[in-house]
Amino acid sequence: MIAAPSGQRAGHVRRSAARVTIPTVSASVELVNVSKTFGTVEALAPTDLSIRAGEILTLLGPSGCGKTTLLRLIAGLVPASTGTIAVDDVAPAVARATKRIGFVPQAPALLPWRSVRANASLLLDINAKYSTSTPSASVDELLAEVGLADFAQARPHELSGGMQQRVGLVRAFALDAPLLLMDEPFAALDEITRTEMRHLLTRLRSHHEATVVFVTHSISEAAYLSDRVAVLSPRPGRVTSIETIDLARPRHPEVEDTEAFFEITTRLRHALAGHA
Amino acid sequence: MRLLRSVAAPVTGILVLLVVWETVVRVFDIRRFVLLAPSKIVAELGRDPGAYWSNTLVTARHMLIGLAISLAVSLVVGSIMAASRFVEEAVQPIFVVILVTPWVAYTTSIVIWLGFGARPIVFLAAFVSFPILTFGVVSGMRSADPAARELLASVDASKWEVLWHLRLPAALPVIFTMLKITVAIALGATYFAEGSVGGNEGLGAVGRRVSLDQTIGAEVLWTSTICSSLLGIAALVVLTVAERTLLRWHASQRS
Repeated sequence: MIAAPSGQRAGHVRRSAARVTIPTVSASVELVNVSKTFGTVEALAPTDLSIRAGEILTLLGPSGCGKTTLLRLIAGLVPASTGTIAVDDVAPAVARATKRIGFVPQAPALLPWRSVRANASLLLDINAKYSTSTPSASVDELLAEVGLADFAQARPHELSGGMQQRVGLVRAFALDAPLLLMDEPFAALDEITRTEMRHLLTRLRSHHEATVVFVTHSISEAAYLSDRVAVLSPRPGRVTSIETIDLARPRHPEVEDTEAFFEITTRLRHALAGHA
Repeated sequence: MRLLRSVAAPVTGILVLLVVWETVVRVFDIRRFVLLAPSKIVAELGRDPGAYWSNTLVTARHMLIGLAISLAVSLVVGSIMAASRFVEEAVQPIFVVILVTPWVAYTTSIVIWLGFGARPIVFLAAFVSFPILTFGVVSGMRSADPAARELLASVDASKWEVLWHLRLPAALPVIFTMLKITVAIALGATYFAEGSVGGNEGLGAVGRRVSLDQTIGAEVLWTSTICSSLLGIAALVVLTVAERTLLRWHASQRS
């Protein structure tokens, strides 16, 4: 296991030092005693977390609970203050350098000068040496799958917020990365669009085996999407409980009207309130 | 209707200017060297259009080469400054000195240094415009979306990839704005330097040569001045068309 040493640079990793390619479709993530301090502020208390290959794990918590910090640590975008993180037995920086992480930021972050299609394939164009040569689905297929086939040549400003974030999802899925990290991707959307987006993500994910770590403060989002939910409390951020969501898959929107779903959201709300 | 207005309004403005200008010169009998009537300028232009055209082309070449060099240097220097706060803060005072020092004051030194001919002219045009262009490149590159930078970092984009795919396109709107400003500055420097090197080519050289000529000096001086204005306007038109074409995606180009 290659550990991420504390204070490791989060910048560009030299390619020659990073020739590690383990062809898996889903990655496991191991965090041991990981903490993060910004100056004197402890954003994340020492945390142990095992994310299983192929599962969808949600980090659920209120604003400022360190869930985004935790996601960025796994992405290798910030170095951990203590502890070790391993993505399929390699450090996050190595996983990042070999394009084994598909990142979906909170803002869609579409480049306004690129067409929808060019935005969707942006991450394939960058660091192209590590792009998969045998993608399970082409960018055009993915765009069609999320209902944007007719908008492939459109510019981002011509799209609604929900459509823009669908491009963000396609952009991440197109990488065929074994680990997808999503940082509250639907937080800025209206409630109706937001509900549609979690149904869409579940459909999209059903053809892929990638492990998904999904950050949210929405209880119903966590309940609908997840296999397991890690509930976080703020100041300093810590994982207070891990809830298993035993809803059968494939899941359909109707499940949100069932007694079982209601029980799960109630359980998650109590888990959150336990440390409010 | 909008198209009609966008053409009719500026044409009306120019016509009003010409009528007032012509009237004021005639009514107050203003001396030729102080202000020449538009009708006399048109007549002088008709007397020898070939000479004015070829001198305008020379001045255009000087200015464009100067601006091209300036843009190339500012892209390189600006990229480095955008990547390093230390370099930016070290270079900034130097640029401020260049910007506030009147270039008229040291033009003679540049002519002595680079000799006669086109070199000192092109150098001055580039030198006075590149700090402004560089500031534009730096602030434009800094305006790149932080979320997009993080996204590129998530696949370990190299500095070149970040520059090419994100920073440079993000900087284009500011670069165009700065280019429009520097056209006027570079044109002024070009005109003055052409007069200072003692050569025979270019509108600046023509204007300098006739400035003491009592026979047709005023006519030539004013006509070469108007040719300079037309050259500046032509450059702005080219830049605006290029901007409209290249920056269709940018909010400033949507109506």
